[in-house]
Amino acid sequence: MTAAGSLIRLRSVHKTFDAGGAPVHALQGVDLDIERGEYVGVMGPSGSGKTTLMDILGFLARPTTGQYEFDGCPIDGLTERELAAFRGERVGFVFQSFNLLPRLTALANVELPLLYRRVPGAERRRRAAAMLERVGLAARARHHPNELSGGERQRVAIARALINRPSVILADEPTGALDSATGEAILDMIEQLHRDGQTIVMVTHDPSIGARVQRVVRLRDGRIDVTA
Amino acid sequence: MMLLATIREALATLRLHRRWTALTTFGIIWGTASVVLLVGWGVGVHGLVDRGMQKVGKNLVYVMAGRIGEDLTPAEERRQLDFDLEDVDAVRAGARHIEQISADVAMWLPARRGALLRIVNVRGVEPAMRDLRGVSLAAGRFVSPDDVRFQRRVAILGEKARERLFGTRPAVGQPLTLYGQRFTVIGVLAPVGAQLSRDGPLIDEQVWIPVTTAIVLVPGTRIGKMVMRPHAREDNADLKREVRTLLAKRLHVSPTDEEAIFILSMIDYLSGFDAVFTNLKVFLLLLSVATLGIGGIGVMNMMLVAVNARRREIGMRLAVGARRREVVAQFLVETVVITLAGGIAGLILGLAACVAFGMLPGDLVPRPVIVPGVAVAAIVITSAVGVAAGVVPAWQAAHTDPAESLRTE
Repeated sequence: MTAAGSLIRLRSVHKTFDAGGAPVHALQGVDLDIERGEYVGVMGPSGSGKTTLMDILGFLARPTTGQYEFDGCPIDGLTERELAAFRGERVGFVFQSFNLLPRLTALANVELPLLYRRVPGAERRRRAAAMLERVGLAARARHHPNELSGGERQRVAIARALINRPSVILADEPTGALDSATGEAILDMIEQLHRDGQTIVMVTHDPSIGARVQRVVRLRDGRIDVTA
Repeated sequence: MMLLATIREALATLRLHRRWTALTTFGIIWGTASVVLLVGWGVGVHGLVDRGMQKVGKNLVYVMAGRIGEDLTPAEERRQLDFDLEDVDAVRAGARHIEQISADVAMWLPARRGALLRIVNVRGVEPAMRDLRGVSLAAGRFVSPDDVRFQRRVAILGEKARERLFGTRPAVGQPLTLYGQRFTVIGVLAPVGAQLSRDGPLIDEQVWIPVTTAIVLVPGTRIGKMVMRPHAREDNADLKREVRTLLAKRLHVSPTDEEAIFILSMIDYLSGFDAVFTNLKVFLLLLSVATLGIGGIGVMNMMLVAVNARRREIGMRLAVGARRREVVAQFLVETVVITLAGGIAGLILGLAACVAFGMLPGDLVPRPVIVPGVAVAAIVITSAVGVAAGVVPAWQAAHTDPAESLRTE
């Protein structure tokens, strides 16, 4: 596939934060292409800009300068409303700390992205239940997050990320808060998604996980480290 | 559909944070209830004093005969003036602004029933006195024009006077000896109760007889006072001027001599009270506003803390596709539910307190008045404060990068 047809295309992306007067250059000219169906690992030391990169990829933050095209569409020109739709439908986020709503059941948490797409209630529940079944949690649909184990919570979060059939799953250290056996199960699930054709970008610290992805993007001081 | 889901979720949130919800709601309940009760109380106290002042009779003007003023005559020529019945008739006939008028003779006389002897306050009155004092009869009848015309020896007893003289026995139709003369009790007045103004003893303690009878009963009795009422409060000044002019001419005194003809108008007193009560009401209103403000600050605090604690949630919602205004709407619904529930609960509590205080026994207990405008204003103000305090930080959080909200610890 040509570069022009990439799902994700970043060109000299900079992101600068204003941390109490002193500007922090989190990203300093990142060029990155990710093709459909790819399984990409993002690695690098703390503060190298991994999370900032994921935030930009997931439309949670805008680049300070530079271009970001998603599926051929420049993000620059999107309205707030279009951006919200992109967040909900084009990407699915999986966080290290799950980020589930404690007062909602597993089912309702999975339904949430559909709610914001105005999907009718009956269909919402049907699709969310099906998705929970796919991650093996059909029996836990009525449970609240605090009644679930860490691995179960992360599977709920994955179900939520998948519910809108996103173009890409963005996983920020999805196994970081789990013990190794549970983490392995989550990783298996992610790899199964990849085998089913899902594009996945995953941040990880763990070299052994890094060895299992198709391609590793190494960040250092806000730049892609091409020497590695 | 979206709104329904939002409301359902808001209720679930409030249920989950029961203690927080209870504390926040309590602030609003307290503020609203205090305002409703305090303002109602103020209005009620005013009503109480007005009623108490009017128990001696509504809008009465007393005209009394005095002495000719010192600066108008040498001391040895100063004499005690008094009215006679012709003076009363002349005023009745000549003053256009009078609605009702009655002569009033007051004296302390021995009253005897069988072996029982009591000193009582006896008033010589005309039939109009019943309406002037605003009293009703518990039994029997009142002084009639014929009683006055024929100087009948009939008596009407105030409630306390009846009790002192007759105890539990029936009084109407029974004989009673006043100043050695045999009278017949023809009526008993209904209890008047606590009076905040009076001329002489309480009405309940008085014995009323026809004015003509009073004059002949005790030799040398003078009519010291006329009791009258203008058609309307606004006629107060006109009535006073009219009566003064008329009587000055008849008694051959100067119309400017306020010692010779002494006029005391309850209307003037009540107007003075009105100013006092306007101030009291303003004070209570300010107190209420302060209470409301404190409640509002409490609510604001709770809201700010709650929204800050939920910045991650705001970021997460945006991350799964919520629009900013949907997030703001959710917080709006939550705060509206809280403030409205609190406001309505406070209103009910305040109204209940008003009713409860109103049911306390006793004459001198104010009956709080429910002021609808104030109640509505109280709810609107607390709600507005709560909603602003809930929505503004939510709006701010929704307008920062979702990434930033998500990483909030």
